[in-house]
Amino acid sequence: MSNRAILFPLAAAIVLAAGMMTHSPKAAAQTQFTLAGGTWIILSSPIDNEVVSRMGNTLGFPERHMVFSEDGDLRLGRVDREDAGPNVKPLGVWRIDGNRFSATFQLWCEDASQPCGSIIMRGEFTREDRVRGTMTAFWDEPDETRPTGYDTWPMTFRGDRVP
Amino acid sequence: MSMKPSPFSKPTRVAVILVGLLGALVISPSALAGKKLQGRWHLTITIPEPPISDKTRILLVTMDVSPRGDSLQGRLTITNEVGRTVGGVWRQVGKKVSIAYELPCTPGEQCASLVLLGKVKEGGVKIKNGNVIVMWDTPNEQNHALYDTSNGSFSGERLE
Repeated sequence: MSNRAILFPLAAAIVLAAGMMTHSPKAAAQTQFTLAGGTWIILSSPIDNEVVSRMGNTLGFPERHMVFSEDGDLRLGRVDREDAGPNVKPLGVWRIDGNRFSATFQLWCEDASQPCGSIIMRGEFTREDRVRGTMTAFWDEPDETRPTGYDTWPMTFRGDRVP
Repeated sequence: MSMKPSPFSKPTRVAVILVGLLGALVISPSALAGKKLQGRWHLTITIPEPPISDKTRILLVTMDVSPRGDSLQGRLTITNEVGRTVGGVWRQVGKKVSIAYELPCTPGEQCASLVLLGKVKEGGVKIKNGNVIVMWDTPNEQNHALYDTSNGSFSGERLE
């Protein structure tokens, strides 16, 4: 038997095996990131020591427990604020594209005389149970120095999923 | 000037007026809604084509707003022109409402998060001259939000 007759089937078998490995369900499942499931413990930090916004608004930098769910295109989120009260559950929505996600929440403002706002998060998965990114608060208070015309306050965050 | 006496007694007239008012309330659910956002709305949202463009994009959506109950916030759904439905969240203080949702996007399309700020007017049936904050997915270190942002506008009419 010639070398060509041996090498050709061997090379074909290697290529086929490699293809099966890269297209196995397990390999595909490893890239399916989702925020749904478990509780995320999210910790935010200031950027460039900006602990309050230009207009003096702040959330501080507490640890937050966030829960996300998914039902088709309906992707919901909530923050458990049992520290503030049993009914205090700020609500949000989210979307995901590969390992990158976006989430938007409304702030919970009990004092109607104070500015309220919305939070937009942009993050990425560094592994299935760990995320990092930035979040930006847009307060309902005018600030003409910002591109949107509203008081704007960015932070960084990192988070871990717990069962 | 003399007034012609009514052929109906005073109690009858009062009863007719009350029945008329009750009928108006039944016919128009918005009359019961007052200035609350809950209910079904048609929104016209105008935002730039992403992220820096002179062209604008008009989103015609139907918004179904769930009651807040005792909560400060509530959920809603937004259905676009092609029937795709996504979730959103809202809060309200007096006439002022804030609605937030993620644009439904197809893979590879420039996507964004929207915050709609407006006032419920005309007894709870219209939102006029609302502002929209758009935060795109494209990073921008020059923007204090860390991503490209745009401003848009929106208006709304209550359907139910």
